Order: sequence, then C-alpha cells, then structure tokens
Amino acid sequence: MRSLLLLWSLAPLAWQLYTSFVTPEALIQGAGMAAGSFWTLENYRQVWLADPPIWRYLLNSAVVGAATTALTLALAVPCAYGLQRQGGRLRWAVTLTLLATAIFPTVLLFLALLQLARSLGLANNLLALSLPYAALCLPLAVLLLRAAFADLPPELEDAARLEGLNLARRLQHVLLPLLAPSLASTAILVFLFSWNEYPIALTWISRPELQTLPPAIARIAGSSLFTVPYGAFAAATVLGSLPLLLIVLIFQRSIVSGLTQGAIKG
Amino acid sequence: MPGSGARRRPAPGAALAGLMLGLVLILLPAGLLARPVAAATTVRVLMPSPFVDSTAPLVASFNREHQDLRIEVARGPLDTEAMSDLAIGGLLLGDTAYDMLLMDVSWTAKYVAAGWLVPLEGLLGDDALEAMVPGARTGNAFGGHLWRMPLTGDTGLLYWRTDLMAEPPRTTTELEAVSRRLQAEGKVRWGYVWQGRQYEGLSCVMLEMIHAFGGQWWQTGSGRAGGQTELDSPGAIAAADWLVHLVRSGVSPAAVADFAENESLQLFAAGDAAFLRIWPYAWREIERGGGPVVGKVGVSTVVSAPGFRSGGTLGTWGLSLLAGSPHPEAAAEVIRWFTGPETQKALVLDQGYAPTWASLYEDPELKRKHPLLAVQRQALEQGPEVRPLTPLYAQLSDLLQRQINGLITAEGSAADAMAMAQSQSAVLLESAAGQDSA
Amino acid sequence: MKGFPMNTSLVNTLLMLPALLLLAIVFAWPLLDSAWLSTQASSVLTGLAPTANGGANWQRLLGDARFWQDAAGTLRFAVVSVGLELVLGLAMALVLHRPGRGRGWLRALALLPWALPSTVLALGWRWIYNDPYGPLNSLLKLFGAPAYGFLTTPATTWLFTVLADVWKTTPFVALLLLAGLQSIPAELEESLVLEGASPSQILRRLTLPLLRPWISLALMFRLAQALGVFELVQVLTRGGPAGSTESLALYAYLNAMRFLDFGYSATLVVATFLLLLLLTAMGWLLLRRRPLEISR
Repeated sequence: MRSLLLLWSLAPLAWQLYTSFVTPEALIQGAGMAAGSFWTLENYRQVWLADPPIWRYLLNSAVVGAATTALTLALAVPCAYGLQRQGGRLRWAVTLTLLATAIFPTVLLFLALLQLARSLGLANNLLALSLPYAALCLPLAVLLLRAAFADLPPELEDAARLEGLNLARRLQHVLLPLLAPSLASTAILVFLFSWNEYPIALTWISRPELQTLPPAIARIAGSSLFTVPYGAFAAATVLGSLPLLLIVLIFQRSIVSGLTQGAIKG
Repeated sequence: MPGSGARRRPAPGAALAGLMLGLVLILLPAGLLARPVAAATTVRVLMPSPFVDSTAPLVASFNREHQDLRIEVARGPLDTEAMSDLAIGGLLLGDTAYDMLLMDVSWTAKYVAAGWLVPLEGLLGDDALEAMVPGARTGNAFGGHLWRMPLTGDTGLLYWRTDLMAEPPRTTTELEAVSRRLQAEGKVRWGYVWQGRQYEGLSCVMLEMIHAFGGQWWQTGSGRAGGQTELDSPGAIAAADWLVHLVRSGVSPAAVADFAENESLQLFAAGDAAFLRIWPYAWREIERGGGPVVGKVGVSTVVSAPGFRSGGTLGTWGLSLLAGSPHPEAAAEVIRWFTGPETQKALVLDQGYAPTWASLYEDPELKRKHPLLAVQRQALEQGPEVRPLTPLYAQLSDLLQRQINGLITAEGSAADAMAMAQSQSAVLLESAAGQDSA
Repeated sequence: MKGFPMNTSLVNTLLMLPALLLLAIVFAWPLLDSAWLSTQASSVLTGLAPTANGGANWQRLLGDARFWQDAAGTLRFAVVSVGLELVLGLAMALVLHRPGRGRGWLRALALLPWALPSTVLALGWRWIYNDPYGPLNSLLKLFGAPAYGFLTTPATTWLFTVLADVWKTTPFVALLLLAGLQSIPAELEESLVLEGASPSQILRRLTLPLLRPWISLALMFRLAQALGVFELVQVLTRGGPAGSTESLALYAYLNAMRFLDFGYSATLVVATFLLLLLLTAMGWLLLRRRPLEISR
C-alpha cells in the first residue's frame, strides 16, 4: 500500500526530474542512445542563464514569501490572542468570518484587486503583493494560532500578570516562546501559500523581471518557435520545486502536526 | 555631455573630480550598474521573446552608434496570447514602464478603443506608410490616424514539397486530390497540416478559408463595433465544411485540433505531410532545422475553391507608441529606425522575416538570397485578408475558435456550427450597441 | 474568561482590528466593488470608463449559453473531482495513519503534490499527456498500443484535467482526514477488534461516523476551491478544446484581461460567488452538523 501511495505521489514528479536531465533528442527517441548524448545539464544552464534568469524569479518569490510570512504573523498573533480571550457574539461572528474567508476561492478577487493595485499604485511591487497575500493567509493563521493559545494554561498568564508584566511583555516573554512550534508551522504554511499563489501575482505584476515563480513558469519564454522546450520547462519545474521540497522534508513534522492540530482544535 | 564641465575649468580639484567622474563613467557600464549614467534618453520596448532574440544584434549596434538615444528591450513571453495578457496587465495597472509595444495586427483596434495608443502621423508624417507594399499597409491606420508601424509583412502561406510534385496546387480540390494520391502511394503519412487548436491561429486559418470560398467574416458598417459578421453565409459554411472534411477524411490528422504553429511545423519538417499552412518565418526555421525536407520545400499563396481567390491572412507585427511615454519624439525616432528599410533588410537576411517596404522586394541581394520574397510580394499585393477591424475582435475570434474547434473535435455539421457562431456574434454586437446608446 | 478587567472586550477588539481591517479591504471591498461594477458598462466601447447600464450585464448573463455551459462544466468538475478526492483521500489517510517505520517521511512525500505550485504541476502534466512523446504514450507504445491524444477531444481532456486536479489536492484531503483519524481513541477500535469485527466493519461502524465532521470540512473547503478552479485549466488546457474545460473563473479572467469587458467580468465573478454561496448553504443544510465546533 505504501509503495503504491509513493508511486502515485512521486511518479509524475520523478518524470519531471528525468526530463530535466536529458537531451531533447533522447526525450523523443527514448532509450537506446549513447549515454553521452542522452544525459545533459543544458536544460538547467538554459533556464539559469535565461533573460530574466530563473534565480530572479526564485528570489522574487522568496522576498514575497518572507514579507508575507512576517506580515501575516504580525497581524495574526494579536488577532488570535484577542479572539481566544473574547467571548460571546463577537467571538462567534469573527470565527464565522474567518471560516468563510478561509474557504473562499481567491481567484474571484482578482478583478477588484487589480483596480485596487492601480488606484493605490501598488502594481509591480513585490512588498505590496504581500498585502493581499497576508489577507488571504490570515484566516487560516488566526484559526491555527487561536487553537494554540487555547492550549496554554490560563494560570501561566495570570501569574505573569500578577508579576506586573503588561500585555506586550506577557506575549513576548511568556506566551510566544511556548507557541514557537505553532508559530513555525503557521509560518511554513503561509510561506507555501505565497510561493504558490498565481492569479493575483498574474494581475499585480506586469514586469517580466519582477514576476514570481508561478506566473513566470506559466509564461516561460523560449526563442524557438520550432520545438516546445520541455527540457527547459522541466528544469524550471525542478528548480522551482526544490526549495519547497526542502521545506516539506525538513519541516514535515510541523506541517503535518500544524494542519492536523489546527483541524482538531479549530 | 557629462564630463565636459570638468574640462572647462582645469583647476586641480576639478581635474581630480573629472578624473574620478570619468573613471566612474567607465566602470559603471562595465558592470557595476546595468544602466548607463549618461544623460541619454532610454526608450523601452516590450516584445515577444523571439523578436527580442532576432533583433538583439541590431539593437546592440544601434546603441553603439547612438550616444544620446538608447533602446532597452524587455523580453515578453514566447506565446502570442501570453504576450497579450502581459502587455494588457501592465496597461491596466497604469504601469508606464514601456514607451512602446510590438503588437500583433489583431490587437490594434482594441488598444485604440481603450485609449492606450498615441497617433503616430504627427511624429512620423502622414505619408509614413506610403512606400510600403499595399497589403502591408492595411490594419495600421484607421479612424483618421496612424496607430502602428509594421515591422513585418506576414501573411498565411502554403508550404509544399518540391520532391513530391512539380507544381503547387492552386485550388482546394487540387490540394485534396494531390494529398490523397500521395497518401495512397505511401509517400507521406498526412496530406495537409494547419493550425486547429482553440486559439488565434485557428481564426487566421478560418479567415483565409472563408475568403477562399467566396465569403467574408466581417462587413464594415456603422456603430461602435464598426460592422456586422457574416458567418452563416454559404461561403463561410463551405469553408468550415472543407476544414472538417479534411480531418474526417484523413487528409489532415485528427491531432490538428491541438496544433499551433510549432506542432504543425514539426510534423511537416519531419517529412510527414505534403502541405503546411503557416507564416513566412517558417521557411528559415525549416532550413535551419536540418531535417529530412531541407531543400525540398516550396512556398506558394494559399489555395482557394475553384472560381475564387483568397489572399492569406495578414499577420503582421508592428510597433505602437503607448500613451504615457515621457518622450514620444525619441520613441518615434526609434520606431522609424526599427521599422525602417535597413533594419528590415537585416531581419530578412538573418531571420527570413517578410519585409513591408516595396523597395526591399526589388533588392537584388535579397531576391537572390531569399527566394520566398516573390511569393510574399504576390500575397501582399493580392490583398491579404484582414481580421475584423473592431475593438470587439478578441471576443468575435474567441467564439469562432470555439465553434470550429468543437466541429473538428466532435460531431456536428458545419452549417450548425457557423449558424451558432453567427448568432453568438450577433448577440455580442447587439449588447455592444446597447452600451453604445447608454 | 473570568478574572479579566472590564475593558478586556475593548482590548480584544483592538487586537483583532488590524487583521479584520485587512480582511475587509481584501475580501469585502472587492465583492462590493464587483457587485457595483456588474451594473456598469465598462469595456473597450466605453473607453474602459464605467457607465451605468442597469441590468444589461445580468440580462446578457442569463441569455449567455457559454456562461451556463461553463457553470455546468465547473460544477461537474467540482463534484467529480472532490468526490474522487474524498475516496482517495480517505484511503491515503488510512495508509498514513498506520504505524510503522518512516511514517513521517511517508507523510511528507505524500504531501508533496499539494505543496508545489499548481502552474508548475500543470505544465508538468501537459508534458506527461503529450501526444506522442509523453511518458504515458511511451508506456502505451511499450505495450504496442497506438499513441493516444489525451488532450485532443473534449471528453478525454475533461477527464485528464480532473485526474491532474485529483492528484494535486488529494493529499490535502488526506491530511484533514488524518487529523480526524488521530482524534479517534484507539481503545474504541481495540474493543471492536475484540468483538471480532472485520476491518471493513470497523471502517463502516466506527471510523466513518466519527470522521463525519472532518469529511464535511474537507468537502466544504475543496468544493469551494474547486468551483474557483483557474490556474490548472489556464495552464493545462486554456479552456479548450472547444471550450470544454473552461471554468467560470477562466471565463471571467478572459473577459477582463483579453476582451477588456470589466462590467461583464464583474458580473461573472458575482454570479460565481452567488453560485458558491448557494452550494455552501445547501451543503450546510444537507450535512446538518456543523463542520467545526465553532464555539468551544
């Protein structure tokens, strides 16, 4: 069962990896060619030296991802704290709003957000892109962090309050250190989202050199009309997936526990 | 000029400053900063990827020769539709990063209506297009203004195999008969390949076929939309019928339903088809590809039904000046150079692009090196077919593509598909008329 | 929440305010703006400036065969792919839940398709489906079968688009269901085993009933996302052939970015939103039980 599961999940990815390392001729003719003309690094060289080079898109995506993660956490932590401490109708209404926005398909926002970018001059600005991204990540982040706050024994905070620590200090010295694992898994999920987001990046960024990875790969440029550069596509795919692969493998525990805990506690 | 201020007052301090300034000026372009600091005007152009590569040496030599005017080229995507989305995205965002745009002929009316283009006649003169071949002039000037200077004079052409026949077919009937004979003899797997995917290329194929059967897509008239469609005319139905007949009878592979230019070219260049409908640039691509058909390819104008004559679809690329450009005069100078005879001649020689200037079609060197020119001139003078010149063209084209692609991928009759395309076009134009009166 | 000062509620509200404000700007304002724009003519014919045209856009929508075709297609896509995802996701969750060595790695690797960008994966699938050089056709060739056009006819293209979507999003469903499985006390299963129940009986009598809230949650979430499917079809098929895989979101996108008809694009956006609202409400009523315990 396990190997079947791995085959299902990894075979399409493995094919991309293979495609990225072979010559176009080898792709079409298949096995039976001399090894020298079969394997190649040319596809990687091509996307790495392209204009704009792929590392530029990786860098752009990393910048947006970092800014989004920071902004989301900065807004989500106080909101989650407030929501956890709050009772009654307000708590119910805010939770419902968060749930509704969490399942909302973001593509429906593209048209109005395009106008927003235009009227506020936010177009072609990677940091500005993190504003809508943070909003789109907030519902999930707040719900996850609120569940984490709920797990902390209230006596802890009461004790800190009795010692005369104000809210900011209580958060900084007592609560957040205890929340570190939840903060980490929330941050990773936010980063994953922002790395993968497509419709808003597609409409907010129109300069080729500022594009993030998903639209850049979807529009990947080649100069020959003669053949479809599948090798280069695959190389770009591999390079664009590599950072995420590392993140998922390194932080697999936090991601899985973050999502499952969040869902249980939600 | 920078640096001249230091020369006027040769005080030691100023000389030192001048020296350092000079050093900085040398170092900066050498790699510290991508942009030169000289007070040159920089004109930025957004182009599809293939044009960026084909014009790169020419742009580099322009920048070497001009001290006060520089061209900076931004690379767009390869694919025409992705290019259109990127350009429109920038314009909708009000992002004035570019002074001009290399545009497909079918975008012009839409861009003009959106208010994105600046008329060029004031900058380039009323007679800017005068010396061009008549066909290449079309689609650039309308509503009393010049909106675009064409860089290429592309039309749809018929590529045929000189090793399989002595003469290219002139009519649809001949093409079909030759294809069947060659297929029956086992000389080729397929007869005729063309672009049948649901995308703009299919509209180009349809347009020239509609004319080849005596119909027309668009009747110019009044109103904001500028006319009416005639897609349910006998000629238009016959055109759709012929295309679907080619697929169903096996003259064209069923896979044309997913073919764009590169797929159809790939199949023809591999020697698997007797005929190919494509643009002028493909000839050089085939020659360069080094495949089995090199030296065995002839080019002719597209076929028509007996008794009719169709020019190929006009598919030119040209430069337009974007509203909001801070230096229109400098941009106009770049447009003049870019679309001028010298640049075009170099592009014909290097890339096999079709020129627009009549003089280039007489040029002995070009005639010798590029045998395609005679046919290309004939196609342009014969009157290439222009896609409907209306701001609503993108919608009209989209709904025609859906019908024709649906016809060749599924069941159904050409008459029904064209009736549907006509009624949908009528609804669209009617709703536009409603907006007009509002 | 006893023992807090009286102004706690105010402090809490202030703490939540920045986040709620951003949500209002990014979610509420666009919806209101689109609703307003759907009553305006704003296209190339008006020079892109909005001019009130009453209900003309909505009238056009009602008579637009393409809208209804896309709506039905999107709905069919959502129902079929989410259905498959639930079944496969449950199977995957059961596999991931079983104890064993390397379970953490297995979970991470199974999660990969969900974590990677859709556009990148869609491009990958386009190559996998390539006729005749893609790997699937190479496999067919190995068995002596002729090349197959996975993306050439409307019916097959639709099917293989669903497959690509199922592959990409099943891990997410599996993860949610895994959370549910983890919340089921092991003792319950053990007692059923002692009673001599077979694995399928355990699944039917214990696991599925207790998983219900999680299944509803996954269903709601995936259904909403699938109704907004965009990047997969835009990159994999561009809505073709013959418009058979065009989603409502893609139609709205084309109207804005290619046809420059913002009024109609906004109408499509709002119509999709209303459709979503209707379905979510229906789902809510049908499932009766809340997908989440909202108030603890």
